[in-house]
This record gives sequence, structure tokens and C-alpha cells, in this order.
Amino acid sequence: MIGFLVGEAFRDLRRAGRVAVSAIVLIMLSLGAVGGFLLLADNLGAAVSSWRERLRVIVYLKAEPSTASAAALVKRVEAMPDVAAVRYVGRAEALAALKQVLGKEAGAADHLSVNPLPASLEVTPSTHGATPDGARRLVERLSTLPEAEDVAGGVEWVDKLARIQRLVTLVGLGFGAVLAIAAILTVTTATTLVLHARRHETEIMRLVGAPEVTIRLPLLLQGMVQGLLGAALALGGLALAHHFLAPKLAPLMAVAVGLAQVSFLPVAHIAAIALAGTVLGALGGLMARGRRNA
Amino acid sequence: MIALERVSKTFAVGPVKVPALTDVSFRVAKGEFVVLHGRSGAGKTTLLKLLYRAETPSEGDVEVLGQPLGRLRPRAVAALRRNIGVVFQDAKLLPGRNVYDNIAFVLRVLGAPRGEITERVFDALRAVGLHSRARAYPAQLSQGEAQRATLARAIVRRPSLLIADEPTGNLDDEMGAEIIQVIRDVNAGGTTVIFATHQARLAAFLKSRVLVLDGGRLVKDEG
Repeated sequence: MIGFLVGEAFRDLRRAGRVAVSAIVLIMLSLGAVGGFLLLADNLGAAVSSWRERLRVIVYLKAEPSTASAAALVKRVEAMPDVAAVRYVGRAEALAALKQVLGKEAGAADHLSVNPLPASLEVTPSTHGATPDGARRLVERLSTLPEAEDVAGGVEWVDKLARIQRLVTLVGLGFGAVLAIAAILTVTTATTLVLHARRHETEIMRLVGAPEVTIRLPLLLQGMVQGLLGAALALGGLALAHHFLAPKLAPLMAVAVGLAQVSFLPVAHIAAIALAGTVLGALGGLMARGRRNA
Repeated sequence: MIALERVSKTFAVGPVKVPALTDVSFRVAKGEFVVLHGRSGAGKTTLLKLLYRAETPSEGDVEVLGQPLGRLRPRAVAALRRNIGVVFQDAKLLPGRNVYDNIAFVLRVLGAPRGEITERVFDALRAVGLHSRARAYPAQLSQGEAQRATLARAIVRRPSLLIADEPTGNLDDEMGAEIIQVIRDVNAGGTTVIFATHQARLAAFLKSRVLVLDGGRLVKDEG
């Protein structure tokens, strides 16, 4: 029976002809748009997460404390709200780090008569502390430390990046939604054509007492097949575009947002796009109205 | 098998109500061959549609295969129709499928096992003498062959009741006689047959019980 129903669905798909092809193309375009924006948003999201994880608030100290005082200070700061971790960086370690950053030019640092770098605390904010408001409060609290000379650190720009990411997602979903409505209407038209073309079959099916599900299921299936094909084409197109464009865009992304590579959609989003296509097609199939008499 | 009790059917055409059947009552026993005779517009097709529940009566009760059809749910209507074969004047074969597939189609939609379908389709084709034309498409068939294919499609499910609405209406006498003989054979196998015709000569030729409809009323029941 399942074989028969699937066979009828493909027969119906062939009957719908060009309209079915239009529906598949529209579904491909709508899901391609959503997928494209999702791909961009996912990568921006990865950049935001990466930056949030790498976010540090630096407390520059007035004087280099003794080992015992430094340990006590670290404990005090660790006990503050919105603090995930604290690391003490002595003046010598700071100079060593600077030399590492300078690379070939590190010799220049050897000519310094004294180490000009202050000792500092490298504070990693908690998730809550990594938000703009949380970070501002943390900086205010750290500034009240008697040992603090200056406190540097802010997350506004990371938050801006997160806002851009949300905007990209919303634009993608909005754009996709408009195209999706057009796709549903096209699948509905294709299914209505199929209903007209198979009216004799439907009449005979009803006459011989076929269950209603046997009559309606092929319509639903052909809609789902259109949707799934559209989704597969959209994903295929995105994969191709990613394959060819990602290596070219990688340097730009590295400079702009610090991403080493542009990743493709995660499996969950691929599955969601395939499911969305199937649901779009099914909706179109369900919305078509046929004669239910006799 | 079939019982109609004071059945009337009225169609609304705009504000006007047109009576198609008025106060019709009769019974048909299991295995009977009954001819339903009347001129065009006498109400034959409406009456037949009441039997397979394509129409519902405006008044009165219809019972088919021991089942009152008054308030049947769609699922029960489908179940009822699985025991009824219907043949129309026009063959209503599906043009894109060959004779075999036209007949197998009804078994497939009813979920018959694949292994059983071929055997039953060829049994039905042999019964109507069309087994050599199984691969022909409807456009390649004569009118008589097309009608025999339709008959094969109606009997392939081995229905308890066969309803034939002017099955010979489009055929010449020779082809019509072939169809009648097949229907006779089906009846001999125990299937109840209701055979509608507007031809008085044919009604007489069939030598069976004849119900005569005139203007939507049952005017004669001749056994």
C-alpha cells in the first residue's frame, strides 16, 4: 500500500509539471535565503561566543605586591560577583609577554633601563559579567580596589556584534517567510492542478470505497516531495557556495570579526531547513481543495 | 438485501424544488436480478445513487446490504461501497493506464496484497472475455471492450451488489448482448444485480423482475 501511495504521489508530481517545478524553485529560493542568512548569523554567533570567552577585564596595580599579598588580592577579587576567574600577572611576566608579542622586535625591550609595565590582574567575567551592563558593574567594583591604578575592559562592541547577528537572523527569517508564503501558494496551485488532473481517479476511488486517507495522502506526499526537493536544492546550493566562497571570505572574516574560518551550517540547521521544506510542501498540499462529492 | 421505504428525493434548483423521486418503496432479495426501467429523467440514476450513497433521500429510509444508510459516517459509506460494484453508461476508464492497471487500481487503493492482485485481475478479465487485451490502453479499445473492462473493474472486488446504470446504452445490439451475458453470469454467481435501462425492448428481453419508474414514481413492479 505504501508503495502504491508513493507511486501515486510521484505520478501526481509529474502531472503538476511546470507548476511543480516553480514550486520547487520557490521553496529552494526561500530556504536558500533563510539558509544563507543563517549561515552568516551562525558564523557571527561563533565570533561573538569566541570573543565573549576571550573577554578579560584588566586591573592595573599601583605597585607590585608580594607573593602573599598577590595571592590574597586574587582571592578577594575571585569572591566578587560576576567573576569567573582571576590570574595575577607580575611585571616580569608582563614584560615577557610583551617580548613574545613583539617577536623579532623583542630586542628593543632589552634596551629598557627599567621594566615600565605594571603588575596586573587578568579578570575573566562570568557569563553574566560578560554582558555590557554586567561588565560595566564589574569595572566599577574593581575600580574601588585600593590596589587598583586603572581598570580597562568593556564589552559594548561584542554586544554590537551580537545585535548584528540577531538582525541578520531576523532579516533572513523575514525574507524567507515572504518567499515561503509564495512557495506555499505555488505548491497549493500545483496540488490543485493535480486534483483536477486526477479527478477521475478520485471519483473511482470514492466509488469503490477507498479510505479518505488513501485519496488525500498522495497529495500530501507530492507536496512534501516538492518541499524536500526544494530544501535539498537550497542546501546543495549553499554547500556549493560555501565550498567556493568560504576560502575567499575567510581573510575578511578574520580581520573583521576574528574568525579563523567560515563554517557551514550545523547539522541541526541543515535538518531544520529540510524539515521546513517538507512542512512548506505539506502545507501547500493540505491547503489545496478538491471536489469531495460522490 | 435492499429495502426502500417511502423514499422521496427533491433537488433544489435555486428557490425551486424539483422532485426526482416520490414515495418509492420496494425490496430486493439477495441474488435477484432486477431491471429498473424508465424513460430518461424518470429518476433511475437518482435511485441508483441512493443505493451507493452518492445521494441521500429527502424523505424515507434506504437499507442496502442490511445496513440503514440514513446517518452513515464517511468511513461506513466507504465500507459499504467496497461491497458494491457500479457500471456506468460511459466507461470511465482512466486514459493513462492500460486495462490491467485500470482494474488493478481499485484493488491497490483498497490495499489488496500484491500477490493477489494479478490473479484477481485476470480472473475478472477472463469473466468478461478481455484477458487478451490486458495491455491495451482505453483509446485502443472498442466501446464494447471498454464497457467490458469497466464491468471487470466492478466485479474484481467480488461485490455482493452490482449496480449497472445503462451499461449497454452506448453499444450496438451485439455488443450489448455480450455485456448482458456477462452480467447474467455474475448474477449466476450469487451477486445481486440492479440493471437500469431506458429501453423497453431490452427490459422485456431480460425476462426478470422489472421496476418501472415514471416521473419519479414507481408505477409498476412486475416479477
